Amino acid sequence: MMKDRQIVITGLGVIAPNGLGKDEFWQALKEGRTGIKSIKRFDTSEFKCKLAGEIQNFKPDAFLGTKGLRDLERTSRLLCSAAKLAIEDSGLNIDNDNTDDIGVCTGTTLSSIWNVAEFNKGAIHDGPRFTDAALFPGMVMNAASSQVSIRFNIQGFNTTISTGYSSSIDALKYAIDFIKMRRIKAVLVGGVESLSLVNYSGFYRLGFFAGINGEEVSCPFDKRRNGIILGEGAAVVMIEDLEYALDRGATIYARVNGIGNCFDGYKMGKYHPEVMGLKNSIKEAMRNSELDVSDIDYISASANSVPEQDKLETKAIRDVYGRYAYNIPVSSIKSMIGETFSAGGLFQIAASIGSMYKGFIPPTMNYEMRDDDCDLDYVPNKSRITRINNVLINNYGPGGSNAAFILSKWN
Amino acid sequence: MMNNIENEIRTMVSIILEVPVEKLTPDVDFFKDLNVDSLKAIEIVAAFEKKYRIIVPEEDIPKIRNLGQLIEYTKNVTG
Repeated sequence: MMKDRQIVITGLGVIAPNGLGKDEFWQALKEGRTGIKSIKRFDTSEFKCKLAGEIQNFKPDAFLGTKGLRDLERTSRLLCSAAKLAIEDSGLNIDNDNTDDIGVCTGTTLSSIWNVAEFNKGAIHDGPRFTDAALFPGMVMNAASSQVSIRFNIQGFNTTISTGYSSSIDALKYAIDFIKMRRIKAVLVGGVESLSLVNYSGFYRLGFFAGINGEEVSCPFDKRRNGIILGEGAAVVMIEDLEYALDRGATIYARVNGIGNCFDGYKMGKYHPEVMGLKNSIKEAMRNSELDVSDIDYISASANSVPEQDKLETKAIRDVYGRYAYNIPVSSIKSMIGETFSAGGLFQIAASIGSMYKGFIPPTMNYEMRDDDCDLDYVPNKSRITRINNVLINNYGPGGSNAAFILSKWN
Repeated sequence: MMNNIENEIRTMVSIILEVPVEKLTPDVDFFKDLNVDSLKAIEIVAAFEKKYRIIVPEEDIPKIRNLGQLIEYTKNVTG
């Protein structure tokens, strides 16, 4: 039998609401600095809610130059910028000899809505013969991922995974499977979402936002929690077959240890009351790692300040880890960047790599009022200085898609 | 009036092709000299159609290879 491939992370690029580039992002998390602010991109006067994890200081030409920029809509600009940082960070030189060995796999779900909406607006205002042809290529779901391949000449596979809240870890799993099948040697795995009036209005109308029925704040696990604050951004990692990374003398950040995903569709937009899918994902990730329960140093939670989500994630952790759950620090970076939806899992991975290298656990900010349903150690309001070797990253939401990933420090 | 249209078209093409206005002389060939691909060509036609509210027939598109021809075409269709 073929020996199972070991897979490592060798590069990282982050464009986040609270920091551009990995160092700024890590520093912000360590200081508990939020990227949530009043929205500038569009007028919010008709909404009761005003806040988002909007990236207001992002200048794409600083990362990508000006040439060709007008062909990229915001999502592609965010993703290409993060991809550029990840490629540079990995030190992988992409050329005609290795381009077929490198792939791109992106988790994104709402990214093309803006183009679709603008195109439609043109059709209604100007008539169907006068629509803006330039918007059309960006209307497909895989536009952003394809722009990464085009811009950086990556000719291995290119795929977009669109499973909502768990897209990031699902995309990572897809890429890992490709490497394990020996079909590819390295993959840029990204997650991206961008803020627009369309997706803001959609979540608002579904009653999903904090501030509609309570205080407008992202306070995961806190009793006051009443909905999400939307965020945007892109996070990209370079993952590689270990032998390939060692051969080229790459600096290795971390090792892929275990991963699992599970669908538990229950009812439209409802959580499974027993949170079976997330529990099974965590169990699967634990089974295919070599770790014991006591080896998990930190859990990066998917908790997003939605009452049921945070309660059920707590339950899943308790049910899987038993009494030991009370010994594991759990925190949610969504208290600082908001709910970035399909990009959430990759931001958690980027943050967790920082935890391993800078020796801290990011805090759950805005934690003030205890809820009896959420009774774990949530690292409230202040980061904790400690050594981290193994992190469990959860990724789930209403809708049935669940994923869990275990990242281990490379020694 | 016609000078205005010339300027408008030159600016529009300059933005789409990301080429400075001064480089867009009337006879510089879109395809040979400026590497315009089919997608960009469609974008120019679409922007032109939207601005002047005219539909360029399919058979006329290949005849327009430079700015001079585009301006000439506009003069004919807008009178």
